Amino acid sequence: MKQFLRHAAIIARRDFGAVVMTPTFILFLLAPLLMIGLAIAGGSGAESAARNTADAERIAIIAQKSDIAPLLVAEERLRSLGISPPKLEIIESKSRGTSSGLGGGSSGGANSDTEKSTALFADKNKDYSAVMYGSLDAPIIRHEESARRSAKFLSEVAEQVVRARKSGASEGNQVSAAQMEPIKAARVGVTGQRTTAYFAVVGIFFLTLLLAGQAVGMLAEEKSNKVIEILAAAAPLEAVFLGKLVGMFGVALLFVTFWAGLAGIGLALTPRGAALAMSLDPAVGMVPFLILCALYFTMSYMLLGAVFLALGGLAATIREIQLMSLPITILQFAMYGLASAASGKPGTTLAMIAEIIPFSSPMAMASRAATEPALWPHAIGFAWQAMWVVIFINFGARLFRFGVLKSGGWRAIFAGRSTKPAA
Amino acid sequence: MTSQTPVWAENITKNFGKAQAVKGVSISVPQGMIYGVLGPNGAGKTTTLRMLLGIIDPDTGARQLLGHANPRDVSSRVGYLPEERGLYPSMKAREAIAFLGALRGLSWNEGRKRAAVLMEGAGLGHAIDKKIKQMSKGMAQLVQLLGSIVHQPELIVLDEPFSGLDPVNQEHLEKMIRAEQARGATILFSTHVMGHAERLCDRLSIIAGGLVRFEGTVDEARASLPMVASYIPTSNGDAVAALLPDGATQMGGTWQFTVPETGVEDLLMGLIKAGHGIAGLTMQRPSLHDAFVKIVRDAGSSPSFEDANSDALGAAK
Repeated sequence: MKQFLRHAAIIARRDFGAVVMTPTFILFLLAPLLMIGLAIAGGSGAESAARNTADAERIAIIAQKSDIAPLLVAEERLRSLGISPPKLEIIESKSRGTSSGLGGGSSGGANSDTEKSTALFADKNKDYSAVMYGSLDAPIIRHEESARRSAKFLSEVAEQVVRARKSGASEGNQVSAAQMEPIKAARVGVTGQRTTAYFAVVGIFFLTLLLAGQAVGMLAEEKSNKVIEILAAAAPLEAVFLGKLVGMFGVALLFVTFWAGLAGIGLALTPRGAALAMSLDPAVGMVPFLILCALYFTMSYMLLGAVFLALGGLAATIREIQLMSLPITILQFAMYGLASAASGKPGTTLAMIAEIIPFSSPMAMASRAATEPALWPHAIGFAWQAMWVVIFINFGARLFRFGVLKSGGWRAIFAGRSTKPAA
Repeated sequence: MTSQTPVWAENITKNFGKAQAVKGVSISVPQGMIYGVLGPNGAGKTTTLRMLLGIIDPDTGARQLLGHANPRDVSSRVGYLPEERGLYPSMKAREAIAFLGALRGLSWNEGRKRAAVLMEGAGLGHAIDKKIKQMSKGMAQLVQLLGSIVHQPELIVLDEPFSGLDPVNQEHLEKMIRAEQARGATILFSTHVMGHAERLCDRLSIIAGGLVRFEGTVDEARASLPMVASYIPTSNGDAVAALLPDGATQMGGTWQFTVPETGVEDLLMGLIKAGHGIAGLTMQRPSLHDAFVKIVRDAGSSPSFEDANSDALGAAK
């Protein structure tokens, strides 16, 4: 065993060095910067376009001069609740009105305001989607088909004003006087835990998918350089496979540590980031949760990496590698779907299934750490996943021995011993 | 079967699909010897060596390496240079040797130190920190050879070690092999170039068509063919031919014939008595090349299935 691990360590060290000590690795490490840059550029472009559109969008109220102030107050109050229709313009009505009326108290005024609203909809410089006029008790709201919510908003503004007046409250004042007392929640609760669980599933899934896929081409180098025969003569293929996985996992870990560190600093320095971090509330506690997530990422990487490595070892061409990668990626997406669905239903049969299936198990167990405080299931989870890592590595090595080295038969792939003793 | 017989195999066979690459090879290499495995292309040499080293398992038969049934148990005591040379192109020569040593149980630091000494000794001192991809094929091959001996193994297995080397490096390699033998190592190497085998081998096997057709020393191999005599009579004439063995041929004034099993004494006496005299007489042992060709031809060997396995191992080639 000691020699087995030693061989694996030598191969891991070589592979790690071969990747990290190259200029290409810097490109690999900083690749997310490119992604972030593109996202920022794309995002700001989209935001600018959206802002331009939003600037032109309008809703309007044609109102008597006396109603303008209470309407503005009502609008502000509604917007403070997070309701955000397009910018509101209040236009003074030219018609004679009543104290509880918008423009158009008389039929002549109504005609005038109707014409005005028609003119607003025809405006070429601004996009009016909803216009309200008439009396506040029974306002007329004309709106585009797609602007029902804006129309509803205008209706609510009128409602607020009329209610205030009927209750006798002075203009602009609330009828009730609620006293706001902000408190700090003692616990975030189920929502926070489930959010944390979902973050864990997504994080492990994306990191594994991004990084473990690299294992697929790792044996191609050995095969093309004929180094595989040297390795196969000196070390068991299982040790070669494990060494290659560990080597590439080292690279992945370096990548994750670098970016996790930067993300941590970013979160700590920004108030919103800190608030986001505070909203995460894993059931096992934050530090144990982070440790468990790191360990489950390791298992997830090893499981998927072992499969990628085994299939990549069998492939003779890049095309074959690509063809083989796709089904695994689809499988991994399916596992992600299962684990993320399970994260919203902790303790259910679905969650248990996700925890048992090897490829979804790391994600599901990380999710469990967010929602359930018991730590002992994680010991079982690790043992279970580690067993599957060993099985996949063993199976991959046997497949390689059979498929590439042409040693042993199909039976040897499934037999108990990896190396048949010479009889 | 013990460490006195570092390499032992009995009736090992290997099939690749329906093709039988090795039909039953038995081999026994005594300790401290330089042992050659000779055979034409496709004879099964490389497959045999791969089975002996545990890279692939034989379908049937038994093998032991340094007294162990599982060759990888003694991996640190064995050095191997495969037929298809393989090094990581981006690795520096010293690191490549240290890596190969590390795979065989040597520490990286010790490997680096020994690599520098070995490279100096091999005349590659200037290339210690050169990357493999910056080296010529011959230089890279020497680096790999050094990598196979850096851990001072008890057994060194070299598969076609001379192929691809220029004559100067071939001579250098011969010296290295002798030096390793002097250190106490047992060397097993395959070749189809008879000159190297004739100069180096203490014992050898000739494999053809997946079977061992001869096993013994170089002299024994040569002795498997009768000696050839070149005779120049003092007087020529048709009568000479009648006194010489069947198949004697004349070229100019010289007769050539195969020396009979009973020797040449009676034959010469007869020639002298008949008045033909002896103006010149040389007797020559056949070369290993002659013996090899005859043994392989007698075996009716044709290139067999080794190439199929080579292709399998280097699937990406």
